[in-house]
Amino acid sequence: MAKPELTASEQPCELKDAAPPPAAGQPTVVDFQSVTKTFDADTPRAFTAIRDVTFAVENIPDIGEFIGILGPSGCGKSTVLRLIAGLAPQFPATSGSVMVHGEPVAEPGPDRGFVFQDYANFPHRTVLDNVAFGLECQQVPEKERRERAREWIAKVGLDPKKDALKYPHQLSGGMNQRVAIARTLIMHPRIILMDEPFGALDPTTRQRMQDLLVTLWRELEATVFFITHDVPEAVYLGDRVFIFTPSPGTIAHQLAVAPPDRPAREMQQETAFLESVRHVRSLLDKLEAEKHNQSP
Amino acid sequence: MASKFNQWWKRTRTIRDAPSYAEGLLFGAACVGLVLLVWWLLTLGEGDARLVDAYTLPSPRETFESFPELWKRELSRSILISLIRVLGGFLLAAAIGVPLGIVAGSYLRVAAFFKPLVIFGRSIPIAALIPLTMVWFGLGEFNKVMFIFLATIAFVIFDTLNTVHAVPDRFIDTAYTLGARGSRKKGARIAALAGLVYGLLIMLGWHLMRDDPARTLATELTSSGAWIRFTAGFVAGFALWFPIAGHQVLRKVILPLALPDIVNSLRLIFGLAFGYIMLAEVINAKTGIGALIINSQRRGFQEHIYLCLLIITLLAWAIDRSIMLLQRQLFPHIKHGEA
Repeated sequence: MAKPELTASEQPCELKDAAPPPAAGQPTVVDFQSVTKTFDADTPRAFTAIRDVTFAVENIPDIGEFIGILGPSGCGKSTVLRLIAGLAPQFPATSGSVMVHGEPVAEPGPDRGFVFQDYANFPHRTVLDNVAFGLECQQVPEKERRERAREWIAKVGLDPKKDALKYPHQLSGGMNQRVAIARTLIMHPRIILMDEPFGALDPTTRQRMQDLLVTLWRELEATVFFITHDVPEAVYLGDRVFIFTPSPGTIAHQLAVAPPDRPAREMQQETAFLESVRHVRSLLDKLEAEKHNQSP
Repeated sequence: MASKFNQWWKRTRTIRDAPSYAEGLLFGAACVGLVLLVWWLLTLGEGDARLVDAYTLPSPRETFESFPELWKRELSRSILISLIRVLGGFLLAAAIGVPLGIVAGSYLRVAAFFKPLVIFGRSIPIAALIPLTMVWFGLGEFNKVMFIFLATIAFVIFDTLNTVHAVPDRFIDTAYTLGARGSRKKGARIAALAGLVYGLLIMLGWHLMRDDPARTLATELTSSGAWIRFTAGFVAGFALWFPIAGHQVLRKVILPLALPDIVNSLRLIFGLAFGYIMLAEVINAKTGIGALIINSQRRGFQEHIYLCLLIITLLAWAIDRSIMLLQRQLFPHIKHGEA
C-alpha cells in the first residue's frame, strides 16, 4: 500500500492515518522493528522508555521526508532520536532492530546530524569555529572550512562579517540556534534529528526559524525527525506526524499532513490548518485521558 | 543630611544591596584601620604601662621600623627559595594530576581504579607526612618538592576529575554527531611533544634540585642517569597525554571546556601548597621564609615574624590576583567571579 497522497491545493490540511511500513526489500532511510529500550533491566529500578516502536521511512530519491513527533513529556521521543543517532545510554536498544539506510546503527556519525533544544554551542569557540567544527574533525584544510562555514553562517541568516567572530554567550537564543543548525547542516547529513530545537524561543522568532528550517530542508533533501511540544509546529512542518502514547512510549498514530508550502505566519492562520491542529490535539488529549483512567 | 543618612542606612540593611566600588574600598580600609588601631592601643606606652608586653606583641612602629634589618637577613632570597620549592612540587603534581584527572573524568573505569588512592590522599593529615618524607627523600630540596607534590597531587586529580565530569553530556553528544573521533596519528605527535617537555623538565629539575656545585650542567648531560631520567619523563608525558590528544572529543571539547575550571582549581591548590611549604620549612629547613620565621623566633626577633606573616599574605594575594588576570586573558568567554 502506498503512502496516502495529499495535494496541497485540494485539501491543504487533511489528516489521514499513514500507511503501515512498506514491504520488506524496499529501501528505507530509517527502519524501526519492534524496538524496546529498558534501562536497568532486571533490577527493581527497571524503566522502559519505549516499547515496541515500529515505523519505516521510505527512501524517495531527491526528497526527504519531514516527520514531526508529538507526545506527552517523558514518553521516550528523545530515546527514538538518540537510537537513530547512536548516542549512549539510550543506544543500543534492548530489543528490536534499528536500521539506517539498510544497515544497523553502530555508532554516531556526521551523516545523522543532531540539534538540541539548548543549542550546545561550544562556549570556547567563536561562531565561525563552531560551524566549522565538523569539517575540522574531518581535517578539512583551514582555509576551505572557514570559507564553507562563512557560507553557512550566511545561509542561516547571520552576518558572516559581524557575527562570525562572536562567542555564543554574546548571541541571543534565536541566533544561537541558527549557529547550531548551520553547524549540523554544513556536514550535509542525510538525516537531521531535532529535539525540541525551538522550544526555548519566543513565538515570533520561532515562526521565523520554522520558515528558515523549511527552506534549508528543501535544499538539502534530507530526512528530518523533529520533536516538539507545539502541535501547530508539528502540523505545519511535518509531512507526517507521529503521536506517541504516554510512557512507556509507543507510536499510537501516524498521520499524513500537508507539507509547509507557505510561510508559517500565513499558513498557520488558515481554517483548514487550525482544524487539523484541533484534531491532533484531541488525539493527544485522548491518549492522556486513557492513561489517567488506567492509573487512578 | 539626615534623610541621606537614612537612605544609606536603609540600603545597608537591604539584603544583597551592592555598595559602589569606592564605598566597598572604604569599608575594607575601615577594617584595616580598626586592626591597626587595636594593635596600636594594645602596645601603647612603655614597659609595664603596656597592655601587652613587647616580647609578645611589638608595636606597629617597632614592627615596621625593623624592615631594613629583615631585608638584610636575605628576605628576598628566602622568598625566592620558598617560591621555587612550591612551584617545583606543584608543577610536578599538576603535570601528573591534570592529565590523569582528565582521562579519569572521561573514562570512568580509570576513575574507579584511582578512587581509593584519591580518597586516601585527600583524607590523610598532610602534616603527618613530613616525618615520612624526611625518611624517604632526605633533608634536602628533594624532600620539600616531594612533600608539596604528595600534599597536592590527590587534590589536583580530584578537582580535575570533577571538573571534567561536570562538562555537560550534550557537548560530547554534539561532538560525536558532528563526526569527532579518535585520531591516533595526531595524538601521537602531540603526545610526543608533551613527552619531550616532560623529559627535559625532569632532567633539568633533577639537576637543579641536587644543588651540588661540583656537578655542572655539562657533567649532568653526559651522565647516563640524566638520560634515563629524560627517557622516564618522555614515557610518562607520552602515556599521560596520548589518551587526551588521541581523541578529538577529549582534545577539542572536554579539555578546552574543562580548562578554565581546572586552572581555577589549580590557583586555589597553589594557595594551599604555599601554606604547606611554610610548615615544611618551619620544621626542617635552613633557608626559605619558613626558616626565616622559626629563626626569628629562636633569636628573639619578634617583629620579623609579624613582618614575614604580612609579606607572605601580600605575596600570596598578589600571586592569586596575577593568575586570575591570566585566566581572564586566556578564557575570554568565561566570566570569572571573585575567589
